[in-house]
Amino acid sequence: MDCTEVREDRMDLLYGEAGPEAERRVLAHHAACASCRDEFEELRAVRQALGAWRMPQQAPSSRTRRVHPLAGLAAAAGLLLALGGAVRLSGAAFEYRAGNATLRVGGADLDGRLAEQEARHAREMQALHVALDAHARRDAPAEGPLLAKVEALIRENEERQARRFNTSLEDLAARAEAQRRYDLARVSAGLSYLDGKTGQHVARTSELMGYVLQASEKK
Amino acid sequence: MLPTDEELVAAVQGGDSAAFDVLVRRWDRKIQGAAFRVLGSDDEARDVSQEAFLKAFRGMRGFKREARFSSWLYQIAMNLCRDRLRRRRGREHVSLDDVVDSGEPALRQRPAALETLQARDVERAVAAAVDALSDEQREVVVLKEYEGLTFPEIANVLGVPLSTVKTRLYRALGQLRIELARRGVDG
Repeated sequence: MDCTEVREDRMDLLYGEAGPEAERRVLAHHAACASCRDEFEELRAVRQALGAWRMPQQAPSSRTRRVHPLAGLAAAAGLLLALGGAVRLSGAAFEYRAGNATLRVGGADLDGRLAEQEARHAREMQALHVALDAHARRDAPAEGPLLAKVEALIRENEERQARRFNTSLEDLAARAEAQRRYDLARVSAGLSYLDGKTGQHVARTSELMGYVLQASEKK
Repeated sequence: MLPTDEELVAAVQGGDSAAFDVLVRRWDRKIQGAAFRVLGSDDEARDVSQEAFLKAFRGMRGFKREARFSSWLYQIAMNLCRDRLRRRRGREHVSLDDVVDSGEPALRQRPAALETLQARDVERAVAAAVDALSDEQREVVVLKEYEGLTFPEIANVLGVPLSTVKTRLYRALGQLRIELARRGVDG
């Protein structure tokens, strides 16, 4: 079997996708073709080398930074401390009785503090909206001159095209008129020529008729 | 038991967009890895992955479930990679599929001084050798060697006949053998 005929089977075998029949064909070919057998081993070696290229767990990026595990632990510890402080400040209590853990949230002024927090959030949202509106207004005038410039460019382009179109039309009309005059001149010359020929013919006919009349009178 | 991709796709198509998050978590790293190896840029690979998932989400309604979600996703990602490579180079690259095998004496070109390379150097050499392949060959190598797709899956992802995939890979391996030998890696 030709080397190229078993190429696809060899690729299947190289990647473990060959069926028994394809594998048998390749092995039979390799038994007879040392070149293909060597190449197969080289391709295997290439595959092995390719395995050296590993994806980093977290590829370096200009946008994200890797967080060191210790920094993560520190952050977690800080979060726990902050949470504990918040629980204490809120008047909540963590209790463990008879194997049951309960978190009691309470405090006389809890509702008041919640309302205060909600109001603060509302204020922050409002401030954000105001900032966004201001940003939008600031951007709007900047687009005005640009739009005007674009419109002017479009207008100028349309005018230029219209002028070009009109010029082309005038040129075409002038050329048509010149052609018409030339044709008329040619027709006129042709008619004159015909007139001349007809006149000569009439004169000759008259002359012949005169001869005929003279001859008949003599008789 | 974890839901299969097909079950998650069905859930997304049924209106459960949270199921798409599971698909993203499951495939994001793989797609990013494939894009990184094709493009050679981590930032671009992240962008490609994000764009691929966005496109997939938008196209989820029209996705037919007889196809594999992962193959479809790879297909989207590879197309995005091609677009980026085209924009980057400003021209279509010439396919090496039509180039006749050179049959070069590659191993004889190996510089003796580079025989003993450290593992990190080998890794760099492999990355450079893969990068030196044509776009089409690199796609096949990445999908086969690093993503572990089967030949029919790659054919499906790239939209080319099975035989083309195998031919491209065969030539790519030959090319890699030359490149690796040039860089002092015994391929």
